[in-house]
Amino acid sequence: MDFAKKIIHTTEEIFNTMIFMEISSGQVLTEGQEVLDCHVSSMIGLSGDFNSMLSIHCPGNIGRAITSEMLGMDVEEIDEDVKDTLGEIANMVAGGLKESFAAEDINLELSIPTTVSGKSYTVSSPTKSNRVIIPFKLEQGRFFVEIKYSLR
Amino acid sequence: MGKTVLIVDDSNTMRKIVSRALRQAGIDFDEILEAGDGQEALAVLADNKVDVVLSDINMPNMTGLEFLKAKSEDAAIADIPVVMISTETGADIIDEAKSYGAKGAIKKPFTPDLINETLGALL
Repeated sequence: MDFAKKIIHTTEEIFNTMIFMEISSGQVLTEGQEVLDCHVSSMIGLSGDFNSMLSIHCPGNIGRAITSEMLGMDVEEIDEDVKDTLGEIANMVAGGLKESFAAEDINLELSIPTTVSGKSYTVSSPTKSNRVIIPFKLEQGRFFVEIKYSLR
Repeated sequence: MGKTVLIVDDSNTMRKIVSRALRQAGIDFDEILEAGDGQEALAVLADNKVDVVLSDINMPNMTGLEFLKAKSEDAAIADIPVVMISTETGADIIDEAKSYGAKGAIKKPFTPDLINETLGALL
């Protein structure tokens, strides 16, 4: 299953159609880089024919910049608008994955997105899960889309 | 003459995003009303003259499909057109929405042009 290709396609579509910020994807990471130095993360579960958790990890300035562009207003801090905006983006990326996998007769259901923020936190998942991380570059810096999955 | 639109979504942020897309689409709305779920939407429709509704599907309390069904059973508001706007746009869900009277569906992510094209045909 080519998670990276699907995630890159969906994420670029979201940024091209609703956020109007130019992004480019970097080299896909599958291991290492346990610390991403991010201050806000939004997560959403996809379960069904396989189990997974999709996350978007942003440094604070990137979360504010994306929210500012998407809502058309100034954003000074990591507030509820930033958390909700990243949650909506995670929801749309997961929705794109669900649709893409459905075309291959792989069925998934989405959970409700959850967003956390802070200076130091760890996002854990089952130890036997696989991991794909895609860095995306914006003018202001980088953010990451990650999926951890375990096949049945 | 400007029109009135009702945006139904449990996410305050998504309601802001849809409002912004409506402005970018260039449709002349006099008023943009908001509701956080289907129950709130029914109350707004009872108290206001609304020309078109944009509704999410997955919402707490009363989902978009439950809202459509309840609206279709109230003759006073049954004819107000509703367009679903959601990440969930599978054929089975859309068929069910249309069976309750939905006039179309917009998949997230969406462009202002798509909003204009979809709503333009209804207004």
